[in-house]
Amino acid sequence: MRYSIGVVLMICGMLLAGRWIVPVLAQQGGLQQAAADPSPPPAYTPLPNGTPPIEDTPAQREALAKWKAREEQLLESDRMAHNAAVTRSYNFHFGKLNPYTPGNITVQGKGFLQPDAYPSAEYCGTCHQEAYSQWRQALHSNAFRTPFYRTSVNLLIRDQTRGIAFARHCDSCHNPIGVLSGALTEDSKIDRSHFDADGLTCMTCHSVVALDSTNGNASVKMGVPSVIVDERGERIPGMVPFEMILKHPERHSQAVMHDFLHTPEFCAACHKANLPVSLNDYKFIRAFTAYDEWQQSKFSQRNPLTFYTADYTTCQGCHMKRNPNTLPDYGAKNGTFASHRWLAGNTAVPFYYGFDAQLNKTIEFLRSGNYLNVDIFALKINGDEKLIAPLGKATYSLAPKDIVQVFIVVQNKNIGHSLIPEVRDLYEAWLEFTVKDAGGKEIYHSGFLSPDGMIDPRAHSFTNRPVTDSGEFVDNHKVWTIHSVAYDNTVQAGRSVLVRYQFQVPADASGACTVTAKVNYRHLRQSYLDNVLGKDHPAYPVVEIASRSRVLKLGENRPEKESPEDNPEWMRWNNLGIALLDQFQYQESIQAFSHVVKLRPGYPDGYINVGLTDIVWEKFESARKAIHKALSLDPESARALYYDGLLQRRAGNTEQESADFNKVVKMFPQSRDARRELGIFYYRQHDYPAAIEQFEALQKIDPDDLAAHYNLSILYRRTGRPNEAAAQQAMFADKKTDPGAPTYSLNYLHAHPEITIESIPWHLHTDNEMEGGQPLNGKSVGMP
Amino acid sequence: MASQSECHKGTFRNFISVAAFFCLLVLPALGRAENKCPWMNEATASGILGGEAMGMVTGSGAEGATTCEFTQLAAGFRRTLSVTVEVTPDAHTRLQTVARNCGGDAAPLKAIGNEALFCPIIDHKNGQGEFAVGRVRDQVFTITIKTTLKDDPILTRATLIVRIDTAAEQIAGNLF
Repeated sequence: MRYSIGVVLMICGMLLAGRWIVPVLAQQGGLQQAAADPSPPPAYTPLPNGTPPIEDTPAQREALAKWKAREEQLLESDRMAHNAAVTRSYNFHFGKLNPYTPGNITVQGKGFLQPDAYPSAEYCGTCHQEAYSQWRQALHSNAFRTPFYRTSVNLLIRDQTRGIAFARHCDSCHNPIGVLSGALTEDSKIDRSHFDADGLTCMTCHSVVALDSTNGNASVKMGVPSVIVDERGERIPGMVPFEMILKHPERHSQAVMHDFLHTPEFCAACHKANLPVSLNDYKFIRAFTAYDEWQQSKFSQRNPLTFYTADYTTCQGCHMKRNPNTLPDYGAKNGTFASHRWLAGNTAVPFYYGFDAQLNKTIEFLRSGNYLNVDIFALKINGDEKLIAPLGKATYSLAPKDIVQVFIVVQNKNIGHSLIPEVRDLYEAWLEFTVKDAGGKEIYHSGFLSPDGMIDPRAHSFTNRPVTDSGEFVDNHKVWTIHSVAYDNTVQAGRSVLVRYQFQVPADASGACTVTAKVNYRHLRQSYLDNVLGKDHPAYPVVEIASRSRVLKLGENRPEKESPEDNPEWMRWNNLGIALLDQFQYQESIQAFSHVVKLRPGYPDGYINVGLTDIVWEKFESARKAIHKALSLDPESARALYYDGLLQRRAGNTEQESADFNKVVKMFPQSRDARRELGIFYYRQHDYPAAIEQFEALQKIDPDDLAAHYNLSILYRRTGRPNEAAAQQAMFADKKTDPGAPTYSLNYLHAHPEITIESIPWHLHTDNEMEGGQPLNGKSVGMP
Repeated sequence: MASQSECHKGTFRNFISVAAFFCLLVLPALGRAENKCPWMNEATASGILGGEAMGMVTGSGAEGATTCEFTQLAAGFRRTLSVTVEVTPDAHTRLQTVARNCGGDAAPLKAIGNEALFCPIIDHKNGQGEFAVGRVRDQVFTITIKTTLKDDPILTRATLIVRIDTAAEQIAGNLF
């Protein structure tokens, strides 16, 4: 008896000391396999198309009901035990009601969801071998474990004033199972060996039951994972036997294939991010907006103001193209399967893991698709203002000792987002420009790689420079320290950039010079690779996405045969005009667009572009003429109507202004610009309900639109809705750019004269000394 | 009626029980306090070992190596997972030196840290195990998984390779 008491006391002691908490949670055995089971999937013969689903017998329905009840009970009891163990020591830094903040993710049901509620990727891979093999090499499966991500998130975890609770901001997208299970806490009781390596596993995306908004930061609601529903459409949790799925594939689809999976809004959940005040203790800062860039691009067909038009293409249309499947996959249709490689720009992860297929396909993807156009468009010789353009059509002479200015136009032609998208501080895309003499000797070179892998600091790069409040570059992707962006030289979808170089033809040159411009891409920035891996890492791939060469003969140059890689002449001028407009060179921009009008007199957009530039330049009379001409060619042009609306407003023609904007909104209900202007119109007319309707619609398109927040705060107050007004006012104050932010940028630029010039839109890259005696060797030169 | 000596025995047994109770109450708590392994929690170590394990951290983080040792004790056998981490200026050379413990059996662990190698621990008398050494920048880590069971049904030869890889990925990931 006494021994029994002792034993009981000992057991109590151990329990009280909490030593058996861990064992409850430790998931024994069955570590994930490194690869999918290579054995063939269970036999399955799809029913012919149009065959109605098999109807269950009453006995089968009863059996299924029992199965469902048991699985639900099991899941619920496991979940309660899990929560009892996790909640005790979980860091509710942002309050008990916000366990996943700063992320926006939520989960169905009460409390944390245990990691083993998610069927494993290997389970899915039994029947979806093609999907599994692609996913294993793709970014989604490696979203958490890569050194490139871990380095950043570890810095946040180790940050003295933040810690692991703040990492929920990042991990909500990179490791949602970890976040939703409550693993992101100092004293974690959760076995991470089962999910860290799978990042976004199959049943994270395929368990999402609702999209909360297009706010990003994982703004989704995760359902309790389920691979099948019953005959009433109710979800059955857990891993069911394959026979159950193969008998009712339609029920499997219903459980895992929501329609929104095909929409860009689904991608927006994680391919849009902001830095909320809960993370940075500063204010809301937009981080990346790939979704918005797409929404504003020609591919969305939702924006009437794009320079060009295209067929409707979603994110999935480019990044999940259907390909013939090489492995058995019951999700294949007609022998093809939507790619689960999500090919994009990341060469670093497949390079690190040795995923050769993924790496080669990524490089192939970057070089395909006619995404960019590089145009060696024009020359200026010896300071003469005359533009020799377009090259290939123009006649000119070149001689030794000539000082040559070369105009390179890089067009973001067919990317549905900016070049570079998303975390621009981590990636590198830059223009490499070389001039060689007839013997191949280098005359000028910008954008070379140094022996240490760093890019020539004076290169023109399509990147940005986020800075801290001390004016220091945020080199380690410590996004919570970002206070400003010193410059952002990305090229938005459908737009172009003009990059100018100047070199001198050597006195002893003969024959010809060859100029070459290449857009190179490296994932990731060299200094970031050095931070992650130390300086002794192998060189990471540099991919040439697009390039163009031209031979400049010494002597007379005559028109050449057109090259198939060049845009048509009118488009070349159009791209120059767009680039000049974005560099605030309005007069030259109008001259370029005038060439478009001359070459394509029946093309309304040529006139619209002239009119648009005139509006920006505040030459409204000229703008009216151009826009009226465009409307005479195409009275239904939404783009022309939009600019006409602006001009009518300026002229005080409210009726026509209203008619224009209403027409545009009718044609493009998801045009944020048209909604905004129509809202402003109604506001000025004191038609508050109509104005509210427009701004609320605008907010549904872009929940962060400042004009919507500002105007709604006033409109709600005027219509007796003070609480909503206060909420909008607070969001406006939080999202509005800090007026002090430019100071941080200036501090950075002041300390880095080598790249300060990149912050000036109109600048020249040269090694030469210019007239006026400026010491310019090795520098780029800004032009006022 | 119990004799006086029996009574003393009974009192002594009670004392032992109570002492054991307090020891067990306090010691695990101390153990837990020490279990602040920066690179792996107990649950993850338990998952890798295939049963509930307790962790201890020894050594200084500032100088020399720090060690985390996770032990699963069960009737008649013991499984351990130990991790050491040291910071050294010539980490690559240090890794090569440590890897000599593998003899000619060292094989690369792909995509773990900057570089990593692993090999089996052959101990016909005392069970079996797996050893790994890796590097993240200037940090060299070693991982040893051991079982005293000769024919461990969980830590089999085949699964040990997967488990050492999982452990190495966890450790390297947290060292980045």
